[in-house]
Amino acid sequence: MDPSTSRPAVVIDNGTGYTKMGFAGNVEPCFIAPTVVAVNESFITQPNRSSNKGSSSWMAQHNAGVMADLDFFIGEEAVSKSRTSSTYNLTYPIKHGQVDNWDAMERFWQQCIFNYLRCDPEDHYFLLTESPLTPPESREYTGEIMFETFNVPGLYIAVQPVLALAAGYTTSKCEMTGVVVDVGDGATHVVPVAEGYVIGSSIKSIPISGKDVTLFIQQLMRERGEHVPPEDSFEVARKVKETYCYTCADIVKEYNKHDKEPSKYIKQWRGIKPKTGAPYACDVGYERFLGPEIFFNPEIYNKEFTTPLPAVIDKCIQSAPIDTRRALYKNIVLSGGSTMFKDFQRRLQRDTKKIVDARSHPVEVNVVSHPIQRYAVWFGGSVLASTPEFFTACHTKAEYEEYGASICRTNPVFKGMY
Amino acid sequence: MILLQSHSRYLLQILTNRLQNIEKGVELDCHWVEFDDVRYHIQASIKSPNLLHLSVSLPTPPPETDFSSGLPLGAIEAIKAAYAGVVHILDPPRDGFNLTVKLNLAKLPPLEGLELILVVDLTVRIQYSIHGFTSFDFILFWNHPISAFASMIFQLSWIIPEYRESLACLAESTELNKFLGSQLFPTHPNLTFFWKLLSSSDNMTLSLLDGAEIRHALVVKIASVREVVMGAPLRVILKRVASRSVPSNAGVLVPLVHRPNESFFLVPQVEKATVVFPMRFNDSVDTVLATSFLQEFVEARRTAGLNNAPTCLWSASPPDELKDAPEQALHANAGFVSFVIYPRHVEGKKLDKTVWSLSTFHAYVNYHVKCSEGFMHTRMRRRVESLIQALDRAKPDEHANISKSYKRLSIEESRGNSHS
Ligand SMILES: Nc1ncnc2c1ncn2[C@@H]1O[C@H](COP(=O)(O)OP(=O)(O)OP(=O)(O)O)[C@@H](O)[C@H]1O
Ligand SMILES: [Mg+2]
Repeated sequence: MDPSTSRPAVVIDNGTGYTKMGFAGNVEPCFIAPTVVAVNESFITQPNRSSNKGSSSWMAQHNAGVMADLDFFIGEEAVSKSRTSSTYNLTYPIKHGQVDNWDAMERFWQQCIFNYLRCDPEDHYFLLTESPLTPPESREYTGEIMFETFNVPGLYIAVQPVLALAAGYTTSKCEMTGVVVDVGDGATHVVPVAEGYVIGSSIKSIPISGKDVTLFIQQLMRERGEHVPPEDSFEVARKVKETYCYTCADIVKEYNKHDKEPSKYIKQWRGIKPKTGAPYACDVGYERFLGPEIFFNPEIYNKEFTTPLPAVIDKCIQSAPIDTRRALYKNIVLSGGSTMFKDFQRRLQRDTKKIVDARSHPVEVNVVSHPIQRYAVWFGGSVLASTPEFFTACHTKAEYEEYGASICRTNPVFKGMY
Repeated sequence: MILLQSHSRYLLQILTNRLQNIEKGVELDCHWVEFDDVRYHIQASIKSPNLLHLSVSLPTPPPETDFSSGLPLGAIEAIKAAYAGVVHILDPPRDGFNLTVKLNLAKLPPLEGLELILVVDLTVRIQYSIHGFTSFDFILFWNHPISAFASMIFQLSWIIPEYRESLACLAESTELNKFLGSQLFPTHPNLTFFWKLLSSSDNMTLSLLDGAEIRHALVVKIASVREVVMGAPLRVILKRVASRSVPSNAGVLVPLVHRPNESFFLVPQVEKATVVFPMRFNDSVDTVLATSFLQEFVEARRTAGLNNAPTCLWSASPPDELKDAPEQALHANAGFVSFVIYPRHVEGKKLDKTVWSLSTFHAYVNYHVKCSEGFMHTRMRRRVESLIQALDRAKPDEHANISKSYKRLSIEESRGNSHS
């Protein structure tokens, strides 16, 4: 028997903002690290025209390449390196849920495996995730890197929302039909899933996600004239968002509440200026509820896109095959960091129900929230990859060598998902 | 990263998080696996937030290695010496693991106040093995540092008489010097003697650290449990090299496990030790890359700046040292690498580093092989991209915008397409 099937599979959920990585069978990922690579540019941006000057400069270039190959950081280390030294530049390998830079992605994985998880990739099956809109070519690239660079014995590429569904149902009966509302850092998808299969034609994406909430808060704070050092303002906005934001029931009433009792609602943010080390403080006011509001009233942020999230969910379900709709309304599952705002689930439930009720006959609407929502995708992967069926559903290295990268295009839905 | 750190990043994170949120004391139950099939399991309950059960399983030893009671030779002593007070070994270990220890976080040194840390270099004279004291790397004093320090020194010199001569110390802080000199020593009857030892500085470092630093150092050491356990037999032998003592088993081949069912070999000699690694890889491309990497590695050793590094050789066939080795150890598809370790490589603080580098040499090579493959991919992708660009340039214009493998159609675009 292949000894690697007796070890826990490695589960990596690469998100636009954060990568969640760990071993199957655990409740939590080992590490949640920003998906970013800091590369030492001084090696790469050496004069390029030297290429026709003979072998010595070729050697120099080659060595520079080799050094750059080793001299890079990922995650928090990358962020702090780029702050303290101007020779490191940040590259974000994933944009809007899709891999954008494969060199950076390969390096990122390399560090995840060897430096964070510290495992030998030849010893473990791998489960990776992808956004529902990923083109099949991208899966081939992933397969190529995993099998050829890292020699993984087996690989499964799962669709993120399907995993999020699997995450919700470990205790009760496994229900693989539902709508997943995945609001991450760089992409928001509403994905209907029936019996573990994504209903591709009904997927809806909206151009508003966690990063937009951060940008909006940054803008609000800047416009009010809060004294946040500009080089820090995005990070501060993100932390303010994660610590103080909540979803309100009614925006007008919420304004009134804040105006009546500012002392109760206004929070203080304290920080230290990165350059001088001097402490500073600023107020956090309306942005506490205005930030998450952009999902429900997008026009306050983006003039071009004005459909509220509940309406998108309704449209999505209405476009799905008629016999699945009832089950879909009954199981609307939240996933991703940007669904963590307090009362987000309640507001979404209420607004969606309102839309549905307006259409005569009563239908049960259920927005489901669970404690591991923040990394539901990873957790779902962890659960599925610890079933024995997982190993048979994987593409193995032998298959890859026989049939080539194209086998990675499809990944079968397997038992255990039901 | 070029060299692996000796602590497990995840274990360190778990311990630090736990210490920071001790009052929350959440339920904890995780397992994970590191390279060379070292598995970990850690468990803690809400009831006693300060207690953690940590289990480690080691790679399956090949038949030739000495693995009595499921642990490498000297591992128990090494654990006791490194973590005395904080860690308690449980017998039997958790099912499926080689070692289970109970960690009591309450026994860690407190965060407040200045503490004394004494770094003792005991490698100079190690012929004894009493209560594990011979292999400790540092002794920590907490609560009442000065008096505890004094009595500890005192006890130490009783346990191991040799230290009376070899104990020597460097007081790094003049503040401390003054303090020790004026306050402590005159009041203690026996201390004049030790004071002399302390001031005839040589191999001991005495420094002031704050509690947080000491605590962190100990937590990192706990996270390096793999190094302590698996490196134990190697450490014992290399320490003898450092002390230049004549080994009782000179010239006898010692197999040491480092990967599942694989060992590397050590030949202790007078004032040196030869270490031989049979290098094996599963993948054919890896084997080729590793072989050339190792030859380059040996070549690089000859360059100027590395004169003091251990001598290093590569050969395709088993070297002479392995003439007594078991048959299965003599097959290695990426050849054999040997290092010759002299006392200067294992003196003082270097010992730990050398033990770790040798125990993880295979992982080091493997990592670099994977890096090279990644690097080649990058180059190949660039090449393909530039070829595609060249092809695109050669095409007539109308095809140019179909070259993307996929795209979403917007209303304008679909209109535009239907007109064309
Ligand atoms: N407690 C919180 N409250 C609100 N937002 C949060 C919270 N925690 C994290 N976030 C936000 O969630 C986002 C990250 O979520 P997640 O990790 O699901 O995204 P991702 O997987 O990286 O991105 P994507 O799925 O879009 O590719 C970030 O924008 C982060 O600021
Ligand atoms: Mg995500």
